[in-house]
Amino acid sequence: MNCEVCELKELVVEQFEIREVLRCILHTIIFHRALGLVRPRDINCELFELTYVQCGVPEVEKEIEEKITEFISKISKHPNRRSHQVCLSFYETKDKQPAWFSSKTERVYWERWFINLQITNQRVNMKPNQTKVGFDPGEKLSSLEEKLHRTALETSVRENLFQIIKFVNEKMDHLPHIPPNAEGISYPYEITILSSSESSLDMLKRMLQTGHQTTLS
Amino acid sequence: MAAHSDSGRTTEQIVSQFLSKALHAILAARIPYIHGPTPPPSRHPRKRDRWFHLALGDPPPALEHPSGLIPNGVMEPLVVDILLSPRDDPTMPEAIVERWVAQCEAPAPWSPLHSPAETSSNSFLVKRTYKKSIILLRSIYSVLRLLPAQRVFKMLCASNQSYNHDLTYRVSSFAEPFSRKEEAEFQYHCFAPVETQSGQLAVSVQYRPSLSQFNLEISSLLPPMLITDYVGSPAADPMRAFPSSPSERAGTRSSTSFPLRGSQHGQPSTSAPASAPVFFNRPHSWTGGPSEVPSNRAQHPNHPPTGSYRKPAFNFDEFKFSPPFYMSPTPSPPKFSGSYMQSPLRSETAPVSIPQSGSSKVKVLRSPNLSDPTRNFLPPPSPRSARTTDPSSQDSDSRSFRRPDGLRTSDGYSNMYGTPKGLKDGRDDSGRFSLSGSPRFTFSRSSSRISVPDDLDDPDFSYPFAVDDVDSSDSQARSNDGKEVSDFGHASSSHKSQDAAVGVLVHMLRTAAPLRDSTYSSQSSKSELQEEGLGSTSSFFMSRKASDALEELQSYKSIKEMLLSQSKGKLH
Repeated sequence: MNCEVCELKELVVEQFEIREVLRCILHTIIFHRALGLVRPRDINCELFELTYVQCGVPEVEKEIEEKITEFISKISKHPNRRSHQVCLSFYETKDKQPAWFSSKTERVYWERWFINLQITNQRVNMKPNQTKVGFDPGEKLSSLEEKLHRTALETSVRENLFQIIKFVNEKMDHLPHIPPNAEGISYPYEITILSSSESSLDMLKRMLQTGHQTTLS
Repeated sequence: MAAHSDSGRTTEQIVSQFLSKALHAILAARIPYIHGPTPPPSRHPRKRDRWFHLALGDPPPALEHPSGLIPNGVMEPLVVDILLSPRDDPTMPEAIVERWVAQCEAPAPWSPLHSPAETSSNSFLVKRTYKKSIILLRSIYSVLRLLPAQRVFKMLCASNQSYNHDLTYRVSSFAEPFSRKEEAEFQYHCFAPVETQSGQLAVSVQYRPSLSQFNLEISSLLPPMLITDYVGSPAADPMRAFPSSPSERAGTRSSTSFPLRGSQHGQPSTSAPASAPVFFNRPHSWTGGPSEVPSNRAQHPNHPPTGSYRKPAFNFDEFKFSPPFYMSPTPSPPKFSGSYMQSPLRSETAPVSIPQSGSSKVKVLRSPNLSDPTRNFLPPPSPRSARTTDPSSQDSDSRSFRRPDGLRTSDGYSNMYGTPKGLKDGRDDSGRFSLSGSPRFTFSRSSSRISVPDDLDDPDFSYPFAVDDVDSSDSQARSNDGKEVSDFGHASSSHKSQDAAVGVLVHMLRTAAPLRDSTYSSQSSKSELQEEGLGSTSSFFMSRKASDALEELQSYKSIKEMLLSQSKGKLH
């Protein structure tokens, strides 16, 4: 089984926009991969004129919120680093031959999504509509610049969502079998926050070295 | 509910159901009020919902029997045009803003699916087709929310205003080609086809990238309509209970929100403006039920026979000017009353709590919270003591208890019960004013005076002369006649008819010549009265019974006359 990888286009976001952007993208991906019975919910984005869809599973919403909070907390500890990545992976659990001091099951990843964010003009404790005068004169955004940034970001997020839809439509053969009478989430998944110094390529290398690898057919 | 097996389907079933569900998803995301005024209730997924693992709820009435809308056979294309139709100007043509085309294209002769011999693993193919159809339907669902027409749909659904355009639809099996000019105005999005045994299931959409050219705006006032189930105005019938509005007002809508549409999929969106607006179920609204809406639609001459569903035109004027309703049928009552009057004197004086100690039998009526002007429930003082700035108090014939500006929390409540109106109508000497959720009390009104209610057992009631800045304990300490104070220990329960007499007494004492030396407590009280007006009567008078006061008055009068006569006699 191939592990399909999708690198989404990088988004330039301000810190207060991270949560809403990640919600849009993560929920859209999961909506297309939660192939059990769902009752979808339309969510109007708070920051953009955008409506995305949630699969309506409370556990998913909770986990996504927790991961986003964790991500925001991590990046605030590395204010100098601007590029960050969130990885959403879908896997299967397979039994492997038992060996000494090793687990009997392994995760076989069949799809990975990399969400790339570039954090700009980090204003940690600032509300979305506030501009802190004197914070950094070089980076202070005028209202026009703010508006342009917001419009550009909305366009980028929309492009990301279309990219997701295009990907899920084109790449279907690698999907595992849907469990019968599945409700909600049909495939297990995990959301990981890549370390600041680790890129997606580094992560794949690490996977190959540690043995958590997929068999390339 | 029996589990729906995925394996018992055929390709034709899958394609047929797919087209039906895709149509349902498109119409639910584009046509306001497709479900009628009553949203379908949220319920457990039914068999229909389980198709493609996407619970969209009950299909709209037009799709209950989709055979009329979906062409026979799965091989004919399904074309759904979403149109923006001008409402006010029927001569203006409709404009297609989106065109969805879904069809199962026959496999090419060279395709492996073309040969029946290749269908050895039918079950596998069917499962794969079904799985891919699930994802395709999810994609259609998502794209519907990303296209520009979604914004228009949200505006039409969420607002209680009437716009100059409507979203309508047209379903056919033939797509009338666009002109070159029109074609240039559209963008095209094509979903990856799903291979089936019957061919490739392909879905595409042509859409206008921008709808700004249509100048979507709020139209003129709606034509008047007869409200068939009008139940009266709250002001006319204050005692009538009005049910609370649904909680989903989203904080941004007025009480006139009128959704008239069902939830698209059983789960309303979480943030406003929502795709599932609030259904406002007030008894005196015109929500006669779903049946009325289609009849209105049928009567509308401009409804095209394409299954379009227009937002009903209702008169919202009444709601526009209706008072703000509070959800609680019994709004949180004030501490002891329903009076909204505020003593003008009280509003200017510093809050002073008059202690009830000193004489347990002295029932000092005071405002429970003098620092809060909204908690002042004194009836207005007599006109002479009123400030000049308060027009209501200057009106000697005023029997209206006007609500001051400070009592914002009571606005809706008083409006509901027509406080000013109700009392103005009462020209009798005794008027009754009662409020639900608060103790009932009555007013006795004479031509020029306001008296304290009868029911003074509640210690929180303010005595009309127990004005704030006079500390009863101080006045009692200044008083030289402690006996008099104790004699009037039960004064708080004076009768309404004697309260007027007390007022007269105080007035006379103010204007009468001093009968005693300056150590007399009344002088200090009098000076305070002069300073503060009538409302600042000392507690010395508070503690007296009205009857005693009257007797004393009589005695003073007689003494005065006697003294005056004596002085005249001496002079002569």
